[in-house]
Amino acid sequence: MSTILADHLISCLIAVPFLGIALLVLAKSDEWARRIALLATFAALGVAITALLSFDPGQSGMQFVERAEWMPTFNIQYAVGLDGISMLLVLLTALLSPICVLASWKSIDSKVKAYMALILLVEGAMIVVFTALDLFLFFMLWEVTMIPMYFMIVIWGGPGRIAAGIKFVLYSLTGSLLLLVGILGLYLEGGRTFDILALSGQTFSDDVQFWIFLALLLGFGIKLPMIPFHSWLPDAHSEAPTAGSVILAGVLLKLGGYGFLRICLPILPDASVVFAPLMVWLSVGAILYGACLALAQTDLKRLVAYSSISHMGFVTLGIFAFNEQGVQGAILQMFNHGITTAALFLAVGQLYDRTHSRSVDDYGGLHKQMPRFAVALSFFSVASFGLPGTANFIGEFLVLVGASYTSFARVLLAMLGIVLAAAYMLWMLQRVVLGKALTRAAAALPDLSTREMATLVPLAIIIFVVGVYPGLLMELMDASVINLVEQARVGLPADMAALD
Amino acid sequence: MTVFALIPLLPLLGFFVIAFGGNRLGEVSHRIGIPAVGLSAALSFVAFYYVAVAGPISIPLYTLIDVGAVSVAVDLYIDQLTVLLLLLVTVGSFVVHVYSSSYMIGDPRYRRFFAVIGLFTFAMVLLVMSNNLLVTYMCWEVMGICSYLLISHWAHRESAAKAATKAFLVNAVADVGLGFGVIFTLATYGTLNIQEILAAVPSMAGSDINLLGWLGFEWLIERNTLITFCLLSGALGKSAQFPLHIWLPFAMEAPTPISALIHAATMVNAGPFLLARMSPLVLSAPSAMAVIAIVGMTTAVYGGLVALTQSDIKKSLAYSTISHIGFMIFACGVGAFVAAIFHLLAHGFLKGFLFLSTGNALESASAHGHAKSSGRVSGSLAAGALLLALIPAVVIFSGPYEQMWTAHQTPAAQVAFFFLALATVFLTGMYIFRAVSSLFGHQVGNSGVLPNLFAPAYLAGVGVLVAAVGCLLVFVWTWFAAFLGPALGAQPPLAAGPAFSPWLVAALLAAVAGWGFARQFQPSPTFAGAWTKMAYVALLNRLYVDEIFDAFVVGPFIRFCDWLQGTIETLGLDNLIQTTARVVMVLSNWLWTVLEVRGLDRGLGGGADSSVALSRWLWRVVDLRGDAMVEGLGRASDETGEMLQRIEPRTLQHHLLVVVFWLMLAIALSYWLIL
Repeated sequence: MSTILADHLISCLIAVPFLGIALLVLAKSDEWARRIALLATFAALGVAITALLSFDPGQSGMQFVERAEWMPTFNIQYAVGLDGISMLLVLLTALLSPICVLASWKSIDSKVKAYMALILLVEGAMIVVFTALDLFLFFMLWEVTMIPMYFMIVIWGGPGRIAAGIKFVLYSLTGSLLLLVGILGLYLEGGRTFDILALSGQTFSDDVQFWIFLALLLGFGIKLPMIPFHSWLPDAHSEAPTAGSVILAGVLLKLGGYGFLRICLPILPDASVVFAPLMVWLSVGAILYGACLALAQTDLKRLVAYSSISHMGFVTLGIFAFNEQGVQGAILQMFNHGITTAALFLAVGQLYDRTHSRSVDDYGGLHKQMPRFAVALSFFSVASFGLPGTANFIGEFLVLVGASYTSFARVLLAMLGIVLAAAYMLWMLQRVVLGKALTRAAAALPDLSTREMATLVPLAIIIFVVGVYPGLLMELMDASVINLVEQARVGLPADMAALD
Repeated sequence: MTVFALIPLLPLLGFFVIAFGGNRLGEVSHRIGIPAVGLSAALSFVAFYYVAVAGPISIPLYTLIDVGAVSVAVDLYIDQLTVLLLLLVTVGSFVVHVYSSSYMIGDPRYRRFFAVIGLFTFAMVLLVMSNNLLVTYMCWEVMGICSYLLISHWAHRESAAKAATKAFLVNAVADVGLGFGVIFTLATYGTLNIQEILAAVPSMAGSDINLLGWLGFEWLIERNTLITFCLLSGALGKSAQFPLHIWLPFAMEAPTPISALIHAATMVNAGPFLLARMSPLVLSAPSAMAVIAIVGMTTAVYGGLVALTQSDIKKSLAYSTISHIGFMIFACGVGAFVAAIFHLLAHGFLKGFLFLSTGNALESASAHGHAKSSGRVSGSLAAGALLLALIPAVVIFSGPYEQMWTAHQTPAAQVAFFFLALATVFLTGMYIFRAVSSLFGHQVGNSGVLPNLFAPAYLAGVGVLVAAVGCLLVFVWTWFAAFLGPALGAQPPLAAGPAFSPWLVAALLAAVAGWGFARQFQPSPTFAGAWTKMAYVALLNRLYVDEIFDAFVVGPFIRFCDWLQGTIETLGLDNLIQTTARVVMVLSNWLWTVLEVRGLDRGLGGGADSSVALSRWLWRVVDLRGDAMVEGLGRASDETGEMLQRIEPRTLQHHLLVVVFWLMLAIALSYWLIL
């Protein structure tokens, strides 16, 4: 048993959620369905932590690699492996899944079995995407993540769920078709192989790189989302049930950033450099545009959704700085954003469970009725705009340092985005937490239960600990990032490459 | 040495224990907070002695960030400057802790209060001890959020909530500059270690950066100058300089002990401290220094004038704080860092004392209906006020620092600075005594309730006192300058001139005159002259700075965001997407009509017709006896058709067509890419 676990660690990690789905079929009651799902997600978290403990941070390449022939005619493999970058994102996925189950413990009371199965399905698929070393595997499971999200939105969502679901699917499909085009292009140009590591070692001509990058850019950009492809996100977020929003914001958006890191930078370094100015300006645009729009929202979920767009701008800003600080900051920012935004959606969901209203104007004075909730919401809000002492600050700082090597103007503009973030978050807090209750319903709300606290407290601890001692996570990815940056720098002109 | 690391850590520990200690701590939270801060105050005294004897100490703690060439270490550095600030912060915080433990009794958020002031103390202590600009910046921000939490202490009050948000956001705007400065410093010096930066300052002299390069223009500015401007930007916010001072008067929504903590002992001092800490850098940027001096002087005069007109004593004290801090910034701007720090310390202790006495007086006023405070309290208030009024005079005009007027070579500027400084001293004397007297006699214009502070005998006594205190201060001041000098590196050597100068006497006289004038001249809305009345009303409304910000910055920006949401996002982007979807729908509808209805359907219809004819023929020809069987079949196929109809063939077809459309596009793209 132990050798199976040791030799096939990643396969075990992938298998656990799917085994959970199989077990769910046997569940007799809704209560059992919830318990089985919780058990499965915790088991996956356990395996992920095992992987973390046996992970060697000093090594820059892939670890725990497993390879098996899958469709030899097309040279498709089942190949998985972990490096520092994917380790972090796998950990994030495994961490948020049990929290999703806990968050939907009471709020989901119809078709519980199906709901839990979808959470497990999305978890399993995400883990495969983050560990895949084969582009075909990557693409297939990328597609799979979309399906459970669609059903979550359409079946358990809010009043506008059908339109939001269709919008989500149409955007995602467009994105993934272009992604498919890009991947097929790589396959055909790169000597008929889907192997990411093999493709990273090849050099493609400038033209090929340009077109493939363009296709991938749209595929990843829609997922991330970058402006102007973001308009599915606020709708999907505001209509999705709490766990759906958490998965969407916490993990799914990271697929885009991960794609850029895993595929664009190492395989298409020259095109990455060509597109970098566009990417950076789009990132800065997203930071400011998302923040301005968040300031105009009165719907809590839409507010957090637009703040997501703004914060994901930092991720691309860091990635396309092509230096260690920027890339590490971007990955850290992905992790932090996953946790903070997930927590914010959880908190908003907890309010929604109580009153079925997402409007800022229906609350007020929550510090009195729900002191524990008020503390939690305030903490995650200030974390979200990057208060020092929270992990988000470190991520944003590193991204800004990375970006400062090429242009100070962008740094300054991105910092304005942080001020705007402080403005919309504090304004939201002022109207929701402080002051007096505006409606009678808001004046008599029960405070958070132990279960609800259990979803938020671990996230708060992680945000704080990483904020004070970021080395915990950064040591994990240090070697991999150095490796990645070296690969990406091939595309840089000589005078820029000497900057570091 | 490492024991001094406990100075910041003890209040932090106190914060954790109180914050996570559960509700059972309740109203005994101060039993954790007071010893924690008391111990760090005691340690600060030890550190003071140590530094006085053995010079600066450096304590490395741990590495926060280590990525590539960027490394940020949390190091403590204790030199003369740090140690003096430490004394002010820890002792001030200790007094506030003790005072609050009785002042806040009965408050439902007693525990939260003590937790936050613990964290606040930690942030300020670490700020003055940090040897890394990033850590300084972090503490800077943490203090901001603590002040947010403290101002919103009585969160049920709408005004407190607004004041808290305003305070944080105004600071956040200013901190963009400081944060940018940190990143720019890192890019310039390659390190954020403050001592290393200061040592490298001369090597960066003359190194320029093009500010408008990204627009294709050229506007060169020296790197050191830019960094100094960034530091000033931070100071504008935290130290409430004009025009970003607007948060401070509203911060009076906090409980009174907080006013003592924020406005006297800690937060507002961060600006002058930062400038003094980075003094070699500041001195290398003369043009930035001129701006700093102008900002400081504007603030000092503005604060003094507005303080004169405010009827609320807490508001009046707030503006006096703004004015005093402006004075310190001004001193930094002319290179008189030692004077700024002396002023800072003296102001910190005295203003804290004034706020706490005010708290007492207001408490007793609300308890007894009228402020009949004991003579002891009013006496102590008067003494504090007197000292406060004299400080600017002494620090700016005492002998050794007369030379600082030569920091700026233009004689006109010297004269202007000189007279403005004198005017500020005069104003300080005036508003301080007005504030004190308004507390004890609510209608000062009416001689009936005038406090006896203004009796002629007292005036004479005060004259003597002024001279005595002036002597004392000057004596302390000379020692102080010798002590602090080494910490500020590139200070010009102190001239061994006489401590007393004509200017000092003039300044002391100005202070006394201000006080005396306050008795004669009471600003009130009943002014006869149109001009004086207009000036009075304008000052009463704080020159409408808040309103200007609301009308020209905040309001338009919110409208801009709403416009973005309404026009760009909904009408523009969303519409675009929906139009695309509609076009695809129309296209598929057209395809459907053309292909299905006109083509396939007709074909099929023809086929069906002929098959019907065929079957009729068959029926007729082959077997009439099979009638019953055929009928049965017909019924079955009818049912299937109905079932299929229920699935809405149209939408199904649309979906298929949309998919086909995309597939064709994708195939065309890939075909084109690959060939």
